[in-house]
Amino acid sequence: MRQSCSDVILVTAVFVLGSVSGLAAQDQTERVAGSGQELFQTRCAVCHTIGGGRLVGPDLEGVDERRSEEWIIAFVQHSQQMVAAGDPDAVAIFEQYSQIMMPDQALYDEEIRGIIEYIRTAEPTAPVQPVALGEPTEEQILLGQQLFQGRARFANGGPTCNSCHEVTHEAVLGGGLLARDLTAVHSRLGAPGVKAILGSPPFPLMQRAYQDKPLTDEEVIALAGFLQQADAEQALHQPRDYGRNLLFAGVVGTVILLGLYASFWSGRLKGSVNQSIYDRQVKST
Amino acid sequence: MDVRSQISMVFHLDKCIGCHTCSIACKNIWTDRKGAEYMWWNNVETKPGTGYPGKWEDQRIYKGGWEKKGDGIDLKGAGKPQSLTNIFHNPHMPVIDDYYEPFTYKYLDLIESPAGDDQPTARPISMITGEPMDIKMGPNWDDDLSGTPDYARKDPNLEKLSPAEQEAMFQMERMAFFYLPRICNHCLNPACVASCPSGAIYKRGEDGVVLINQSVCRAWRMCVTACPYKKSYYNWNTGKSEKCILCYPRIEAGHAPACMHSCVGRIRYLGVLLYDADRIEDVASADEAEVVSRQMDMILDPFDPPVIEAAKQNGIADSTIDAAQYSPTYKFVKRWNLALPLHPEFRTLPMLFYVPPLLPVMASVTKADNTAQSAGMNPIAKHWPDSWLYDTSTAALFGTIDEARFPLQYMANLFSAGDTAKVGDRLKKLMAVRLHRRRVTVGDVAEDTVSEALATTGLTPQTADDIYYLTSLAQFDDRFVIPAAHREQALEMMEFAGDVKGNTGFGFKNATAERGS
Repeated sequence: MRQSCSDVILVTAVFVLGSVSGLAAQDQTERVAGSGQELFQTRCAVCHTIGGGRLVGPDLEGVDERRSEEWIIAFVQHSQQMVAAGDPDAVAIFEQYSQIMMPDQALYDEEIRGIIEYIRTAEPTAPVQPVALGEPTEEQILLGQQLFQGRARFANGGPTCNSCHEVTHEAVLGGGLLARDLTAVHSRLGAPGVKAILGSPPFPLMQRAYQDKPLTDEEVIALAGFLQQADAEQALHQPRDYGRNLLFAGVVGTVILLGLYASFWSGRLKGSVNQSIYDRQVKST
Repeated sequence: MDVRSQISMVFHLDKCIGCHTCSIACKNIWTDRKGAEYMWWNNVETKPGTGYPGKWEDQRIYKGGWEKKGDGIDLKGAGKPQSLTNIFHNPHMPVIDDYYEPFTYKYLDLIESPAGDDQPTARPISMITGEPMDIKMGPNWDDDLSGTPDYARKDPNLEKLSPAEQEAMFQMERMAFFYLPRICNHCLNPACVASCPSGAIYKRGEDGVVLINQSVCRAWRMCVTACPYKKSYYNWNTGKSEKCILCYPRIEAGHAPACMHSCVGRIRYLGVLLYDADRIEDVASADEAEVVSRQMDMILDPFDPPVIEAAKQNGIADSTIDAAQYSPTYKFVKRWNLALPLHPEFRTLPMLFYVPPLLPVMASVTKADNTAQSAGMNPIAKHWPDSWLYDTSTAALFGTIDEARFPLQYMANLFSAGDTAKVGDRLKKLMAVRLHRRRVTVGDVAEDTVSEALATTGLTPQTADDIYYLTSLAQFDDRFVIPAAHREQALEMMEFAGDVKGNTGFGFKNATAERGS
């Protein structure tokens, strides 16, 4: 009996290990073999178009003609390093696109070549017209605010925004510091950009966080509305910067207050009534 | 008529020898604790002198007591508006250097120092910081220092005297001083009670002892400013103010307060006075010249049937009324009109009265031939080879009172708000009693001189003998007539003692169990 038990365990272990490694191998081959089109749709299309004009990032039509393949691969994999290193083209793009960093993509060189290949051969899409959205309704903004703070849950169970993000807004107290402050995200990315990122996050960490828990369209609209409102009202929530005047006013105020105290309590007891005696006494030290 | 009882005190200043035993007795019982070292609930001052804390009588410095405002009175420095505006920093409080920095000596160094060429010394150590210090001041630093520029000549009571009078006080051979023992006056109109923002200070209904509730006190220290006698002290360790409690645990047990019990000169008397509480406001806001006499009027005759009736209606026990009738303070203050309150111009209506001192104003030194007297003495007897006579008798009745070594004005500034007639009146009575007794015991004063002295002061030989008895011969029970406290009744108002009968004592076992568990 004891023998058969261990046999069962052994057989089970072999099956489990086999299936896991089999899955991993399958994933690997799929990724390598994954067509440039598929990768483009999942990784790039959120911010880029092919002939559809500027979205968040530049239109990628003819990118292989503008830049060398090596440069594209390097930029896709670590654009921020290149900007920091002072690559003139990278810096120019960074400046041109409102200093929005392109997130580093964890893609193999081969995969990127596949994407470039797809871009070269793809049919140019129709120009994307920023959808003229109506102003978000009060209810939507309120829902967005609640979603942002976690007062309302995302339908698919995604983590609440303020676990990583902060927004300067009267209704939101203390957001996370792991990711960017989203107060001005609306003016940086525009409503389509915000919605695009929310719908399909291009940032690796955010991607992982919402992998199987995508936001619904309704939630995206609500959050975008809330962020738009927070952006519009941010001036109201920013303390005014007085610069050196604050210090100066503090010093002057202190002097005035001390003067007032000194005059109001000018009749106070100062020192001891015996001071003249103490002054004449011989001290040992 | 709202009759209430007050345990009051009389200090007979002629009898005080300035030994400070009272101060030590009090210190040992009550203020030998951390934070209380600098407090002397009882202290003895030399007058003229600045006292403790320095210049406490000068209310331009300390802003204590009441002052007349229109028809009423108001606290000088610690009333409600002043308290509110100064609540976080009380600007008129004495500092520790106004009292003195308490110290002890490092006595262990005397016996534990290693052998060496030098004699070990015990260095003075501050009882506040624990560090070695220079002793700068003590609670009786001006002791016996009449005439000194730092102390005697800065006595605030000298101010109303002319420069010539002041100078005369400090002439060689004329210079004198007397002692002024002070405790809390347990006033009828206490400024400390009125000033307390926390309502922690109260005057006990049954005997008028003024107490600070230590669990209510919030250390605002307004009482320290408000008390013109500076008899409320702040304990820097507990963060509460403290003051003389008239040894109420002793009084309730029928014992005299420690300072009185230990008094070497037997100068202290304690007894009940009945007074009319309805008149407190009128008396306290009377014109300065009238405050003393109206305070005397407020004290009621315990033999008067309507007074007894009203007292009983107010719940004053028969034993208390009985004590009031035998009260030595009633005799000194009211019946014989011999005692006066200290600084009545502060308007707190103090219930500690002083018989003003006669001695320093009465004696004179004249040249006399002592040879005959010396010749008649045994050769080994002590005799004085000089030819001075320290003369306390006088040919002219009360002559020396009017040509006193202490100007009467000085005494009046202390005891009667500057009214010399009141002090003079009392000193003349004391003089008349002395003349009368001199005639009885020595017989060198003519009878008509004595009769005239007694008649002028309104005394009979019998009264003079009574005064003499209570001054010089009085026994313990004559000096301290302490009414029964009836604590058992007070206790039963709070709890029914029968509930805990059968336990160890009444409620004792329960209380112990609660504390221990």
